[in-house]
Amino acid sequence: MNAIFFGILTIFSLFVFMNLGKIKASKKQMDRDDRINWGSKRKPNFQQNRDGSKIIEGRAEEVNDGNQK
Amino acid sequence: MSKHSALNTFGRSGNPAFTKNFDNAQTFSQTERMTLDGAVNKTAILLALCFAGAFAGWNVPALAMPGLIIGTILAFVTIFRSPAKAGSTAPFYAAFEGMALGGITVFAEMQYPGIGIQAIGLTFGILASLLFCYKSGLIKPTENFRLMIFSATMGIALLYLVSFIMSFFGSGIGFIHSNGLFGIGFSIFVVGIAALNLVLDFDFIEEGAEKGLPKYMEWYGAFSLMVTLVWLYIEILRLLMKLRSR
Repeated sequence: MNAIFFGILTIFSLFVFMNLGKIKASKKQMDRDDRINWGSKRKPNFQQNRDGSKIIEGRAEEVNDGNQK
Repeated sequence: MSKHSALNTFGRSGNPAFTKNFDNAQTFSQTERMTLDGAVNKTAILLALCFAGAFAGWNVPALAMPGLIIGTILAFVTIFRSPAKAGSTAPFYAAFEGMALGGITVFAEMQYPGIGIQAIGLTFGILASLLFCYKSGLIKPTENFRLMIFSATMGIALLYLVSFIMSFFGSGIGFIHSNGLFGIGFSIFVVGIAALNLVLDFDFIEEGAEKGLPKYMEWYGAFSLMVTLVWLYIEILRLLMKLRSR
């Protein structure tokens, strides 16, 4: 009886895992602001000088003295 | 994404396996990306290998110790050295760890007949119910949740390590292994933490599929789920043995 009950529980649970696992999580789960950010501790924002460097994303433009007032 | 390597590595999480891949998602084509289907199928493959290993360990219990040692080494190699090669290391991990579990279960069965199927049923029962809770949004993992589970897991690992080292000197932390109320309470706490680690694994796989990580991360997600399931099974077995020995 013990083996039958837990055997059925095992098979049913594996069936649930195989089917439910392939379905996307609900919007309630996915559309949250406080989700875990697995990529980084802080959200990377490369527009800011987070490391104090003067690196600016984009194409470089030549600056000559004639442009300055 | 910045072209500067210093910026790419700046401000990332402490987990080297997760961080390297999450931010490179857009460089892979659609067919090379991680999916939920793929991660679940690969978990099923690892589970099948684990059961095959357990069958071998059940019939030849002497395989338990080599299986445990080789499995543990493979786990560390996969986590710290080659998460990108999880596809080649994770199946071996599952098979060797299965051998260890098969051998451990034989010893448990000799003392308490029927305990193995109870532990297997409860492990997969917890897996299915927590997956339902996660998918439906009943349990919402946050950064604080992750911090709490990570801290508790590290605390338990440290306690086990200290107990293991102390055992060489004929001593140990008694309450961990006792079948008294405190020992059972500790086991229930550890089972709870191991179970909540499953939620973190689900969230990792879900976000990996959403962000379109490289395909090999399916293996890594399945591997992390397997590691947690193996731990959960051992802790449930320990808890049941404590309960049955009273």
